[in-house]
Amino acid sequence: MIKIAQLSCGTEYSGVQDEIERAAGAVGGKMVYPDVDLEDIKSAIEKFGFNPVSPQLKLMIARAVNVAEGHYDADAVFIASCFRCAEAALVRTELRKYIQEHTRLPVVTYSFTERTKSAQMLTRMEALVTIVERKELLARERQVGLTAGIDSGSSTTKAMIMRDNEIIGKFWLPTQDVFSSADTALEKALAEAGVKREQLEAIGTTGYGRFTLGKRFNAKLVQEELTTNSKGAVWLADRQKGEATIIDIGGMDNKAITVRDGIPDNFTMGGICAGASGRFLEMVAKRLHVEITELGQMADKGDYKKVPMNSYCSVFGIQDLVTSLAAGNTMEDVASAACHSVAEQIFEQQLQEIEVRYPVIQVGGTSLISGMVRAMEDTLGQRPIVPPHSQYIGAAGAALLSSGFLEGH
Amino acid sequence: MPKTSETRYIVIAPTSSITPDQITRFIHTMAVDIQIKETCFGVIIQGQPEVVAKVLAEVRKLDPNRLFSKVRGFPIGDARRCRAEHGSRPGFTQLEKEWKDLPMFEAGLECAENKGKVCEVPKRKKLPVSELKKICDEVCQQ
Amino acid sequence: MKVFIVPPNSLILFDLVERFGHKPLSIMGALSEKVTSKEIESPPLNVTVDDVKKGLKYAGIEVPSGIRGRLAIYGPLIDEAEAAIFMEDAPYMFGCVGCARTNEMVKLLVRKRKIPLLELDYPANDEEAKAVVQKVKAFLEGLK
Repeated sequence: MIKIAQLSCGTEYSGVQDEIERAAGAVGGKMVYPDVDLEDIKSAIEKFGFNPVSPQLKLMIARAVNVAEGHYDADAVFIASCFRCAEAALVRTELRKYIQEHTRLPVVTYSFTERTKSAQMLTRMEALVTIVERKELLARERQVGLTAGIDSGSSTTKAMIMRDNEIIGKFWLPTQDVFSSADTALEKALAEAGVKREQLEAIGTTGYGRFTLGKRFNAKLVQEELTTNSKGAVWLADRQKGEATIIDIGGMDNKAITVRDGIPDNFTMGGICAGASGRFLEMVAKRLHVEITELGQMADKGDYKKVPMNSYCSVFGIQDLVTSLAAGNTMEDVASAACHSVAEQIFEQQLQEIEVRYPVIQVGGTSLISGMVRAMEDTLGQRPIVPPHSQYIGAAGAALLSSGFLEGH
Repeated sequence: MPKTSETRYIVIAPTSSITPDQITRFIHTMAVDIQIKETCFGVIIQGQPEVVAKVLAEVRKLDPNRLFSKVRGFPIGDARRCRAEHGSRPGFTQLEKEWKDLPMFEAGLECAENKGKVCEVPKRKKLPVSELKKICDEVCQQ
Repeated sequence: MKVFIVPPNSLILFDLVERFGHKPLSIMGALSEKVTSKEIESPPLNVTVDDVKKGLKYAGIEVPSGIRGRLAIYGPLIDEAEAAIFMEDAPYMFGCVGCARTNEMVKLLVRKRKIPLLELDYPANDEEAKAVVQKVKAFLEGLK
């Protein structure tokens, strides 16, 4: 049983405590609350150096200090507080830094509303448990044998075939029906590789459809996308040693993951609004009547400063776009502004929840949009690495990790 | 709908010589239908509200100003608030602090009973800025 | 009389109110009804999404869910209170009273009811405690 220390405020009164526990239980974890007494609280506040007004936040700090000092034995840490609470947001971020400074435990932070359901937390919990339980598997740096990885994402389905640490086949297509999309992707990738499905020694699945496809393909590895994508990203970027930050702007949600030697230790996922997703860029391309593949180059030629764009909401974002075009701005400027709008929101939300460590590796379908990479560079002040086949991180990670289950290797 | 069951803390002040075990045995001698659990600071009792009230009134007589009581939200032994399951309850530290402060209130209760004279303790006031400035100037000149 | 107490989970205030002949309205009592209900939908406290929505009666949608959930439990108690006692600066308040913003809002809601209210500071020593207990006693006896 993986013990996940819960440092939180407001979960029981928002009706989400049970959802948190269910998400943890579903992946073999258990939420635990580090024991503290009155004296611990006083000294913890002094050590930590921030004295919040809310008592529950004081308690949260004392529990964190207890874990950090090794008085309480936990395998991972989950830090959560109510969305929109300023005091808790300050404590949440600082506690995450404190835990990372004092321990090697994986941490995830989360801000919830009363509508938060266990399904929304499942991927995060699964990643926490995986990092603890499968450390050896995640430490694998080379793919062996003949394996396939299938990444069933919200927008696209990707498949990759690897043999002895080389990519020999790959294919992607927009996700429609989960089964048939995966079948097609796999078959096409197999065709490129020149191998038959029966020859595959292992299959790994990841992404939204991972469980369904895992059963269908009798996968040896069925894994959430946080750990799989980070593994794929460091492998593709050849950055398996040392630290890095992976920014994965996907179709529906974004991930920012910090890794140490290819193993995630802090991650955040999801945005408040679709304004920071690949889907927003698709909407922009559609409105500008260009292919999504052309949007990047178009953005490269534009000046985002000329177009003010709401970075928090896709609907308002498109409204700004329409107004700007009407005001005589060029399509290039608008495309550039759209990319910056996404980059800004990633920076203001996701990247505030983690400690950005360089280099930054930018992956996911949107990393193919050159204007999006430039926008991230402008925002971060440093150019992100975009590895080859950067949209295939999930499939590559799944192929690589599934080879860890092969006997005799 | 009338409540069918009530759970109560009976907390023994640190100055009292009564033990949780003594309270338990005392309640047993009353031969009423009630559930009792001993804890580090006293006992928890649970039963029909009128039985709980009757027991509480009798127990209080053992050491009126050193025994305190309040309702408890969760029933005895509820797994949702079990220390072994989750670690200490969120409200435990509050109880811990109030328990430590009970002797203060014991003094208060005795005073109230004897209609003792109470001197209103003046609140500590902050120094006016003009005063502080004067002091600063004086210190600086030294 | 029904007396609302702040901190609403205080052992000392609960005890004093009862000792001097009134019915304390406590958060533990309200929670006890929730947690022993036949239908437990949202353990441990059984505060559900619907409860958090009920909290909208006391605070707007932009207010964090934890505050609205807490207010949904406190609110009805405040509505039925006939008198109240606040003990300010209680050194540590945990559990049910963990959110400082909620606690401030609770006090405002009580004040708006214009019911008899006794406001005290948490005592620091025996002398202060004597004054506190005397005042509580006088206030509660005056309610009868």
